[in-house]
Amino acid sequence: MNRSPLNWPVIRLLVAKDWQLFQQQLAACVFGGIVALCLIGMATGWSFYLGSLLLIVMLVCTSCFSISNSLLVERKEHTLAFVMSLPVTPLDYYLSKLIGNLVTFLVPFLAMLAGTVLVILYTPLPDGLVVLSLLIFGHVLLAYAVSLSVAMAVESEGWNIFAMIASMLLINPLIMLLGQIPAINDHVKADTIYFAPVAVAILLAQATLSVVVLAATGWVHCRKKSFY
Amino acid sequence: MSTAFALSGVTKRYENFALRDIDLSMPEGQVMGLVGVNGAGKTTLLRILGGLALADTGTVEVLGHDMPAQQVAAKSDLGFATEDMRLFKTRTLRWHMDFVRSIYPGWDEVYAADLLRRFDLRAEQRLAGFSHGQRVKALLMLNFARRPKLLLLDEPTTGLDPVARDEVLEALADVLRDEARSVLFSSHNTKDIEQMADTITFVHNGTLLASRDKESFLDDWRRVICHGSWVPDKAAWPEIAAVRQNGSIVELKVRQFSAGLLERMQTQGAEIRSADPMNLEDIFVTTVRAGGAA
Repeated sequence: MNRSPLNWPVIRLLVAKDWQLFQQQLAACVFGGIVALCLIGMATGWSFYLGSLLLIVMLVCTSCFSISNSLLVERKEHTLAFVMSLPVTPLDYYLSKLIGNLVTFLVPFLAMLAGTVLVILYTPLPDGLVVLSLLIFGHVLLAYAVSLSVAMAVESEGWNIFAMIASMLLINPLIMLLGQIPAINDHVKADTIYFAPVAVAILLAQATLSVVVLAATGWVHCRKKSFY
Repeated sequence: MSTAFALSGVTKRYENFALRDIDLSMPEGQVMGLVGVNGAGKTTLLRILGGLALADTGTVEVLGHDMPAQQVAAKSDLGFATEDMRLFKTRTLRWHMDFVRSIYPGWDEVYAADLLRRFDLRAEQRLAGFSHGQRVKALLMLNFARRPKLLLLDEPTTGLDPVARDEVLEALADVLRDEARSVLFSSHNTKDIEQMADTITFVHNGTLLASRDKESFLDDWRRVICHGSWVPDKAAWPEIAAVRQNGSIVELKVRQFSAGLLERMQTQGAEIRSADPMNLEDIFVTTVRAGGAA
């Protein structure tokens, strides 16, 4: 009994399909991100806070639209059955969703991350903000990985919405928590970038957890017994 | 002759339903009609064959490939459409055609264009603007034009107006002219099945009640009208599936009709008035109400 090898041509087509279905909302999110970065770059009190808030909203929107468009809507509108009737295995489907979501999320995410770092470095804002920004972006990445995993593993729409909202809302406590860590907080307003060991540890934990959560989801998904 | 599909000892359990011990196969080039009430297990059976649901136990082979291990090879030659399957509503039908064509090398663009015309579909229209009938026809067109060796269709004509239904059945008949292609389809409409199928399979409460070729199926069943006071005891007459008495008229639905049976009935004092063939719907309803054996 030979198991089907990965069907990369179809996986590529499914990724391209998700990209096409998402590109309009993606463009809107990137536009919103650019506006947010412009506000942050003005480096005044009100514009910095307004821009920061808008940037976080855009990151959350990008995350939610990406997951919702490619997974939740597909299940709700019964297009999943159409996709799974194509010559793909559950693993092919999982990989196409993983790659498709990472592409549709990481493209605007990385664009906004790079824009944030550049804005901090090339405006009067203190360069020390880079570390705090990276930690917040790291949390958004982890929250996205958790939401994506729940969307792939759990069919309940309620749990999916809960996972998206709860994981993203944890940004607030995270910022407060980071403000309580002197090794991080004391360098936020400095003109030099200082990666305290605790900051590096948190970043590594966020990245590792993101990968572990997604890998575990793949394991769960390939053991599902229904795909429609 | 090789088989289009073969199921052996297949079981699939859900919270409130179980498909039990299914043994069923179909030779290539055949058309099998699945008949059953809502919730009988028809859709589950089709989903298992289409690779959308995994059986809990048993073996499944589709076009010579073990499922689910070789499902990519099987699905490459498979067309699958269910009543609740949807296409992407923000995209046009042309987008879907290009998408499916890029996956299936056997896609026949000329045939697709012909089906578009016959189904009166506009390729540049977004699916969001399609009616139910247009959606069904679009899905069938995407399946037919890839020229699959085996078509699995779940309720392909349900909810269609008479014109659309006729168009779909005509296109399906075209597919069936190619003797190498096989079709398994379910329908509430037993007339469609009676018209198209070579083999008929009854499914009820997750089990197979019967699976036989259509001609012998229809030949075996008769509606016999008798006159007289004789009313058969069904336990002593296993050939008789149902008895209804109305005054001195007795209506019998017979599952294993033969001339010898009529003679035996006459010796019991029954005066035979008629012995007419039954349609598939009547046979199915009688089978289910009689508790199983067809």
